[in-house]
Amino acid sequence: MTGRSELRINRDTGDPATPKALRHALASFLAALRIETPLREDIIIAVGEAVANAVEHAYRTGDSGTVELHASTDAEDVLLVDVFDRGAFIDRELREGRGLGLRIVRAIARAVSIDTEGGTRIRMVFNTDPAAAQQKPAQPA
Amino acid sequence: MNEQSSMDVVRLSGDLDISRRAELTDALARAGAGRAVLIDLSDVPYADSTVIAELLRFRNEAQENGRRIALLIGNAQFARILQYAGLTAAFQVFDERGAALTYLAGTDPM
Repeated sequence: MTGRSELRINRDTGDPATPKALRHALASFLAALRIETPLREDIIIAVGEAVANAVEHAYRTGDSGTVELHASTDAEDVLLVDVFDRGAFIDRELREGRGLGLRIVRAIARAVSIDTEGGTRIRMVFNTDPAAAQQKPAQPA
Repeated sequence: MNEQSSMDVVRLSGDLDISRRAELTDALARAGAGRAVLIDLSDVPYADSTVIAELLRFRNEAQENGRRIALLIGNAQFARILQYAGLTAAFQVFDERGAALTYLAGTDPM
């Protein structure tokens, strides 16, 4: 890849079509970057989990908000994806099965950080070079 | 199916994510009380951890009741997300219907 590519999309967390719409937008973005399956599918799995986390609040409380997906690449073989919403992370940490999503994200992304200032921002860094991505060590069960 | 039936089938299609959690919960709740359950996800191209959490809950209940569960999948995505969740051994997963039915009909230990 050369140059900077960017995807920025906002959707209503209360819209049932939002998770799928964000995944499809990301899939198109990754395809344009020539990131192929299975790496493309893995990135979509990880980002899909972050999106599910973001819309969880809307599904639990009925309060709708906005989830923002921002994906960018400006360094060779590195993709940065942020998923941001204004819901409180601490509430969602408690739900049954909650740990599964983050475990999956951490198993796929090269690095993950969570910022809870003013909402929840899950930042994921991915290797877009398939050979480098495969070198990520397996996560413990 | 009634309680005398030997097997129930729960079939879902399309992307299964958090937006369809209630639908999945309802579908599993409607499964009969047979001794075996085939959860047919062969037409599900994408599933997220919401689905896995719900299936885990259903599996735990089934095990308490001595019921056998098999998952039938149609692509590699579900197997991969199970792998990343560290739950490869949590379910009996098949990509061929006959093999799933053979497992469900079997008498070997679950």
